[in-house]
Amino acid sequence: MNEAQAQNPLRNIALLFGALWRTVRGADQRGRKVRWMIGLLRPYRGRVALMFAALLIETGAGLAPPFLAGRAIDAGIKTHDLSALDWTVAAFVVAAILYAAGTYAETYLVGWVGTRALQDLRERTFTHLQGMSIGFFTRNSPGVLISRMTNDVEALQQLVTNGIVTIFSSSLTLIGVVVILLALDLKLALITFLTFPLLGIASLVFRIVSAGAYRATRERIAAVTAYLQESLSGVRVVRSFGQENRHLAEMTELNEANRQANMATVYLNASYFPAVELLAAVGTAAILLYGGTQAIEGAIQVGVVVAFVGYLTTFFEPIQELSQLYTTYQQGMAALDKIFDLLDTEPDMVDAPGAIDPGTIRGEIELDDVWFSYSDERDPAAVPAGSWVLEGVDLHVPPGQTLALVGATGAGKSTFAKLVARFYDPQKGRVLVDGHDLGGVQQRALRRQLGIVPQEGFLFSGSVRENVAFGRPGASLEEIEAAIATVGATDFVAALPDGIETEVGERGVQLSAGQRQLVAFARALLAEPRILILDEATSNVDVRTEKTIEKGLERLLRGRTAIVIAHRLSTIRRAGKIVVLEHGKIAEQGTHEELIGANGVYARLYGAWEESTAA
Amino acid sequence: MRTYRRLMGFLRPYRAQLWGSMVFAWAAIGMTVVIPLLLSRGVNAIEDGDKPDLLPLALAILAAGILRLGLTVVRRLVAGKVSLGVEFDLRQLFYAHLQKLELGFFDTQQTGQLMSRATVDLQAIRFFLGYGLVFITQSLLTICLAAVMMFFLNPLLAVLGLLPAPFVVYIASRYNRVSRPAVQEVAQRVAELTAEAEENVSGIRIVKAFAREEFQLHRFQRAVGRVFDQSIYSTRLQAFFGPLIGLLPQFGIAVVLLVGGRMVIDGNLSLGDLTAFYTYLLMLAGPTRMLGVAMGMAQRAIASGNRMFEIIDREPTIQSPPDPVRLPAGGGRVELRDVTLRYAAAPGSEHEAVPALHDVSLAVDAGRTVALVGPSGSGKTSLVALIARLYDPSAGSVLVDGVDVRDVDLAKLRSEIAFVADDSFLFTASVADNIAYAHGAATREEVEAAARLAQADSFIRELPDGYDTRVGERGLTLSGGQRQRVAIARALLADPRILILDDSTSSVDATTEAAIKAGLREAMAGRTTFIIAHRLSTVSLADEIIVLDRGEVVDRGTHEELMEGCGFYREIADHGLADSVFLQRDLEQREEMARL
Repeated sequence: MNEAQAQNPLRNIALLFGALWRTVRGADQRGRKVRWMIGLLRPYRGRVALMFAALLIETGAGLAPPFLAGRAIDAGIKTHDLSALDWTVAAFVVAAILYAAGTYAETYLVGWVGTRALQDLRERTFTHLQGMSIGFFTRNSPGVLISRMTNDVEALQQLVTNGIVTIFSSSLTLIGVVVILLALDLKLALITFLTFPLLGIASLVFRIVSAGAYRATRERIAAVTAYLQESLSGVRVVRSFGQENRHLAEMTELNEANRQANMATVYLNASYFPAVELLAAVGTAAILLYGGTQAIEGAIQVGVVVAFVGYLTTFFEPIQELSQLYTTYQQGMAALDKIFDLLDTEPDMVDAPGAIDPGTIRGEIELDDVWFSYSDERDPAAVPAGSWVLEGVDLHVPPGQTLALVGATGAGKSTFAKLVARFYDPQKGRVLVDGHDLGGVQQRALRRQLGIVPQEGFLFSGSVRENVAFGRPGASLEEIEAAIATVGATDFVAALPDGIETEVGERGVQLSAGQRQLVAFARALLAEPRILILDEATSNVDVRTEKTIEKGLERLLRGRTAIVIAHRLSTIRRAGKIVVLEHGKIAEQGTHEELIGANGVYARLYGAWEESTAA
Repeated sequence: MRTYRRLMGFLRPYRAQLWGSMVFAWAAIGMTVVIPLLLSRGVNAIEDGDKPDLLPLALAILAAGILRLGLTVVRRLVAGKVSLGVEFDLRQLFYAHLQKLELGFFDTQQTGQLMSRATVDLQAIRFFLGYGLVFITQSLLTICLAAVMMFFLNPLLAVLGLLPAPFVVYIASRYNRVSRPAVQEVAQRVAELTAEAEENVSGIRIVKAFAREEFQLHRFQRAVGRVFDQSIYSTRLQAFFGPLIGLLPQFGIAVVLLVGGRMVIDGNLSLGDLTAFYTYLLMLAGPTRMLGVAMGMAQRAIASGNRMFEIIDREPTIQSPPDPVRLPAGGGRVELRDVTLRYAAAPGSEHEAVPALHDVSLAVDAGRTVALVGPSGSGKTSLVALIARLYDPSAGSVLVDGVDVRDVDLAKLRSEIAFVADDSFLFTASVADNIAYAHGAATREEVEAAARLAQADSFIRELPDGYDTRVGERGLTLSGGQRQRVAIARALLADPRILILDDSTSSVDATTEAAIKAGLREAMAGRTTFIIAHRLSTVSLADEIIVLDRGEVVDRGTHEELMEGCGFYREIADHGLADSVFLQRDLEQREEMARL
């Protein structure tokens, strides 16, 4: 909410009621979403029913004490009836205990059902996300996707747990108080209710106006935190340029802005809460004046006056809570919209109906006039001409051959590899493995036979053993150790604090880049892939690790088809075939010697490299 | 207790406001306590059939209410200001201290840990100082005043009615104690869940490549289950303690009704007094509960205070000397004499760290360009960090233009040295501001000139807002090569005597690289330059090469000399230095990485 809106509370109240009405009517799809959300609770019907029962007991028992206190005065004390007094007090105690028990059951059940239902939602979102294509993950920022499963689900949980309870218990309490007061004395009740609209409007206005102010404080403190985070990650730069004072001055500015934003909420709170207290005093005075006069005239009993004063505090709370609900409602609904946006996005690369399982493949790869662009356009005619990454690539890789891809930035090397893994479908042409068009092959059946080692050896948190076993869950410890030995990583793994059980940390940060890469090799090897894809897998490795990797690499490549995107001449020289890509087209192909002999692009690149080494 | 006293020290600048808000709070409580008394007089008037008394009493209640409104508004404004003031001061103090601490400190600290001190702990302290103290005094005073009033009305009934109060305070503070770790554990497990989700999203290519979707789902489900279990435990605590705390005072009211009712019947107590008791006891429920909460706040604030003071009490080890020597004019001659550098061990580690540099002596004449070559961990970065006194050597000394760097004013020294670090960190600010980082007064012309020299001008002009494009962590993400060129421009604008260049993320293509090299040649003229080289092409910029291994200087000479005489260098040159031509990552992949 911006400032201009915040200054017009009446308009906002109208907006709120409009929004609620639309939800109730089912317009703007909210109704569908809310119904769907209620559907999440269906598996826990029994507990939900129990929860409502507990809620009823809690609310009912909570309403009794002021009434019973009034009865104790009128039926017991005033009439000198001791047994009536004792019974009323006993009822008072029973009501208090019932209230406590009801609250216990309600809190527990609401917590249980809400948490469980939202965990289901979390898992559903996760599963849905995993069905999306790689292209989807490239288009959407990871932070946003993650917050769908975390922050948004939590906002929704707030709405489910707090929202449901507040709506029911507050409305029930309010209705209960109104009914009891009306039954006790009609006129006195009506006079007491005069404070209602005042309180209701004051609360709603406060909530709406303060929502903006509180948002401002959240934004300010977020800015402070982000700034702090940045100066911590950039501390080396700060120190080496000696710019400490400049950062201190900037921090002071942000800190001051944060203070100002918070001051606004202090003003708001300082005007609202004391005003509510004043209303309570006004109510008390009115009850005493009118009720007292009535009591003296014998129209009502004095206990009724006391009960009225008691109820006065009871109904301030539900009104405030209901008005608070608006914020929770807004946040929860926003989260629901976002989650729905995700769940409504159909996975864009599902297996075609009747897709086949190719069985164990030999690893023959063929590209037949492949055109590909990262544009979302599927129709080749509609793809913007400048966006083609691959333009009519024809290539055949026999089983067992190592293919090295060479070319300048943006030539299409990685894209080539991604099409073989069917992370994307080409707009035109076919990619075939063992003669099967990948469009008609079950994706997972294909990928299970692929091994990919990316440039940054991405590891998952867990032990070295778990990371290697990722290649083939269920592999025995011997098999895992054998894979580690084959890539030449045994020595470094043994030197780790807990050997093979050493935790590698988030994304494997506990290991050096070279070590991560070795683990990634072992992981790929354990998967026993028929086709191996190395995407600049050795670029982050220093001279010591380099030698070990060379040997591991050799063993890894043996006996399977491999696509190697490499920068090390030693790897490229050894390849059975080198393909030079230029602007999405194959410029030349052949062995190292053939290409040097051809004196084309490759020979020029090689010459430039030799020159730069000598310069 | 010491921590507590130190925390209270933060309130010293606000003493006057604090007392003011206390006085207002007490006066407001006085009004709150008076209202039930007036009400009880009203009930007695009803009992006596004394109609004319009702109006003045009702007006008195109204007056008390209005007076309380005024008092509370002022009290809240003053207390709010104090609380925010304390928060402001604390944050300034903490941040200013972080700016003073040496780099070595940050190596041993996790960023997350420092962040949580600046946010979670700071908040705990400010809640306690800003609100907790007011809550405690206010609650105590309300309880005391109400108790006094009740004793004044009837001592026996007062004791009976107040009997549950100490139990409520005890249980509330106990609840706070057990629930806090439980809630923290929920937060911890949610953080684990987030990490799990994060890892799955960033590693999705691996997951898909190995077709391990189900396996990942099981991992995620396990994390979800852990959150669920802990949430339920925490909910159960809340479900148990919350109602219990509410229930106890009800027993007090019941006893008062039972015994007080008999007293009224026996004529020992007026009905009005009984009503007053009833209202007082209702009124006490809030403050007793609040007292328990505030006591929990105090415990938390003290724990947080200890964590804060841990940092604040840490003396910076690298500071300007009290009377610094002037850095003499010179071209930036650098000399290391018997330098050994040992980094502080990570906290918790029992082993002393292996020295990063061991007994290194070397001199580099003014204006020379040297390349430092060696495997990772050989001490290249440590060596250059010593020149800017980012660390102090454990033994030996570092001299710039003949003066020990420890004798020079720190800011003066560092203004003469510029880094192009390997990660080319940029701040969230415009490109122009980033380039002018070390030289805030630079004109746009100077900024552009530096950018041209660093071969950054042309790509900067193509950015959405040119030089005013916001970059950095929360701005537009530049590619590694672009970041590096901005960092070079930043270093050049600082016009340093000594330029230090780390080229490990040199992901630029061959043409750009040639252009940068030309620019660098020009920029290096007249300065001493250290290049941490990972590629032969950058080594070629140097007059001389220093070969490092395991913290020691192995050899030194020109490329040709070393190829001839140094086996270790030859090995590195043949295998370790990546060949530039083939180090060309795919554009789209780099963009993907940048987006992560």
